[in-house]
Amino acid sequence: MPSITRRALLSQLLLTTAPVVEDAGKHTLVCVFLRGGADTLNLLVPYADDAYYKARASLAIAAPSNDSKSAVRLNDHYGLHPMLKPLADKFHDGRLSFVQGVGIRDNSSGSHFESQDLMEHGDASLDNSAGGGWLGRFLHARAGKNITPLSAVAIGTKLPESLRGAPSVSVMQSLDDIGIKAPSNKPEAAAAALAKLYGADVTLLGERGRETLDLFHRVSALQHNDYHSANDATYPKDEFGSGLREIARLIKAGVGLEVACIDLGGWDTHFLQGTAEGTQAGRAKLLADGLAAFDADIKAERDNVSVFVMTEFGRRLYENSSLGTDHGRGFASMLLSNKIKGGRVVGSWPALAEEASDGPGGMQIHYDYRSVFSEVLRGTMGLAKTGSVFPNFKPESVGLV
Amino acid sequence: MKTTRRQVFQAAALSSGAVALSGCERVISTITSATEVGVPDHLKGSESMEIDPEFHLLSRAAFGPWPGDLQHVKDMGRESWIEEQLNPDSISDAACDFRAERFNTLFVRPAEAYNFKKPLLRDELTRHALLCAVYSQRQLYEVMVEFWTDHLNIDLNKGDCIYFKTADDREVIRKHALGNFRDLIRASATSPAMLVYLDGRSNKVTKTKPVPNENYGRELLELHTLGVNGGYTQNDVREAARCLTGWTVNLLKNSEGKVKQLFQPSRGESFFNPEHHDDGSKIVLGKTIPAGGGEADLEQLIDIVCEHPSTAKFIAKKMCSHFVSHDTPDSLLQRVADEFTKTKGDIKSLLRAILKSDEFYASRGQLLKRPFRYVVSSLRAVAADTHAHQPLVDWLHRMGQGLFQYPTPDGYTYEEAPWMGTLLWRWNFALTLAGGKIPTVQIAANKLRKALDAGHDKSADEVTTKLFAHFTGRQARPHELEAVRGLNKDAEALGVLLASPAFQRC
Repeated sequence: MPSITRRALLSQLLLTTAPVVEDAGKHTLVCVFLRGGADTLNLLVPYADDAYYKARASLAIAAPSNDSKSAVRLNDHYGLHPMLKPLADKFHDGRLSFVQGVGIRDNSSGSHFESQDLMEHGDASLDNSAGGGWLGRFLHARAGKNITPLSAVAIGTKLPESLRGAPSVSVMQSLDDIGIKAPSNKPEAAAAALAKLYGADVTLLGERGRETLDLFHRVSALQHNDYHSANDATYPKDEFGSGLREIARLIKAGVGLEVACIDLGGWDTHFLQGTAEGTQAGRAKLLADGLAAFDADIKAERDNVSVFVMTEFGRRLYENSSLGTDHGRGFASMLLSNKIKGGRVVGSWPALAEEASDGPGGMQIHYDYRSVFSEVLRGTMGLAKTGSVFPNFKPESVGLV
Repeated sequence: MKTTRRQVFQAAALSSGAVALSGCERVISTITSATEVGVPDHLKGSESMEIDPEFHLLSRAAFGPWPGDLQHVKDMGRESWIEEQLNPDSISDAACDFRAERFNTLFVRPAEAYNFKKPLLRDELTRHALLCAVYSQRQLYEVMVEFWTDHLNIDLNKGDCIYFKTADDREVIRKHALGNFRDLIRASATSPAMLVYLDGRSNKVTKTKPVPNENYGRELLELHTLGVNGGYTQNDVREAARCLTGWTVNLLKNSEGKVKQLFQPSRGESFFNPEHHDDGSKIVLGKTIPAGGGEADLEQLIDIVCEHPSTAKFIAKKMCSHFVSHDTPDSLLQRVADEFTKTKGDIKSLLRAILKSDEFYASRGQLLKRPFRYVVSSLRAVAADTHAHQPLVDWLHRMGQGLFQYPTPDGYTYEEAPWMGTLLWRWNFALTLAGGKIPTVQIAANKLRKALDAGHDKSADEVTTKLFAHFTGRQARPHELEAVRGLNKDAEALGVLLASPAFQRC
């Protein structure tokens, strides 16, 4: 029997992990979660509604004008926060749309965790859980079709709830990090020993261990080359920017990435929210600059990439006594994709009506969040039947796609 | 035998000649390894096929055994060890103090913290926590410090929290970690760090803005006491917030004070401003707090939430999830909740009820270590010498548990699945540690092998068998022996054992 050299072993490894995935991974959905309950009323500004200015004496964003601190006009009703200006051209190009008044209808608690939990699990209530997260269930429903260790990637250090139940999820900060750092610099031997140990473990730990090894082998093939973004895209120099860059890299590498999750935190603006400048403006700038860079970088792949932006709830119409806003109800979500009817703000007008039956008040909810999620999966990922992802739920038509 | 501070200093005097010019940390490392944090001459791992009960106790009520701890618990008996641990002041901790209590910022008042740069405050607080967990003899106390730090989570990155968390760690968490639950919650309620973190400081009513800030009031009910399904309503949240109006913290330098007040609280000090208090009557969880209570509303509110039956259940459940199992039998949950009610939240009594129960011993090896425990137990198992510099701390971030930096008030989760996405970093930590390649961290691999009689003259299987028993408290199964057989028996095998599923669990 001919002896297998290290070189032969490596080239074999490269062959077997060649990044060719035909079916699954053709389209990538990037989910951006604005953690903390973003005040979308100041991001997608309903400048034509007097109620908005009445309720927000000191926090409102001025109606569009020549002043750089005023809203950036989208249409006769809405404008963007001045820091979101880099997204305006995508709206006018017909690639970006908003859905106004999205939320959880039966959520009287106003809790971040309960709301994020419901939102990410895609459940009607905590007592009526479908198991797993909505993106996890989506991937699970497609499990027969070439699921890879990089089908789902979460940028960061923790698995997001939305990806629970996915056949495989990789949590990473950078592609370059992925490797096995054996003391002898021979990762294959350590990997083989770990494969035996985790291979014999029948619990979830064993399963996750085997997936981790699979990922190691696959990514080895992509490493050791510097990444240069396309079209002079310049990502913000922070975790959000570098996370989006890594997602772009995975998309271009064709490793079968279907769902990528990334968080942008800092939206819980109870205190000194700011207007055109200040706390929220800083987060808005990161969001817009990051998405604009990503969009430029993946220009050649745009037909196969969609970006969905969400949060757990909107905030109240009225500002509080500390120049901030408290937990509210509905929010505006955003979808950037070549596959949608763009350039629109979906949802009835006037949007504003403080709603407070038993829970916190805030913008009325026009659309159950699961209807929006369903339409995103249907329109971008081609999910035909949403029943597998949202059992016992009949989505209403939102009109995004 | 415990080492006194005097003995440590004597050892310092003896060894200082040899390490005279090599820096304070080198001195500390040398003298402490000469005394109590070394490796005993002889070690014996468990010979049982199941996890040794004493090993199990050390895996949960401590951050895993330091070499020699297992024999120590066997010699003194589990019950006596638990009682000793429940009285941490009775345990000398000189060697740990020498290493961990030497940072300037640990002792400052909030006002003084502003004199230090933020990275230094973060660095020293983090290093202190990590060093105490690794080196303290008061292990159960440190385990509870970690538990309450998550329970009353504060993120250093929010506002001025970084200036106040050190005081919160000292005056709230560490002061009450083994004390009374009500005292803990009361201390937290007016801790400057908490007043900033959950916006209590801006919870006030004024003539123009009669709307309280509900953030802290909500988390007090949802996360700190009753739990999310504890039977409170949105109205209770609002009423709790009203009780707390007026409690705030001064963030301004004295010269910056805009409004002249009767007394001027110093910077970083919490105080009650009656002008911003809603002094009407309130109804919280069905109990009326009459109008005119002023600052005493806070005491009544804390009494109401701490005495609520949901709180006893919630805390029992959370502690059992930490110490026993995510699926703790109802029998134990009920006993711990009853103990909470009976003792009005005496934390030591809860720990006794848990650690001495049959359910506790029946849950051996069922929990997944969170990254902090994984790192600390690894360092302890190999008698590592570290001063917790950045190269070590960075690993916690990769694994997803950077200390004092969890953004939301629910604290790092005890659920297991979310931690499994970062297994690769655990493996790499283990392999890098075993290879001696984490800068500033030294492991006592040779001493350990010698003490275990697992030196180079022994066969690979013998070495693995002994190391495995030392790390996991049980004998290796055939497939576990087989898996590491082909590896280099020095660093590689050691690292893979620390990376193995058996060491991920506790």
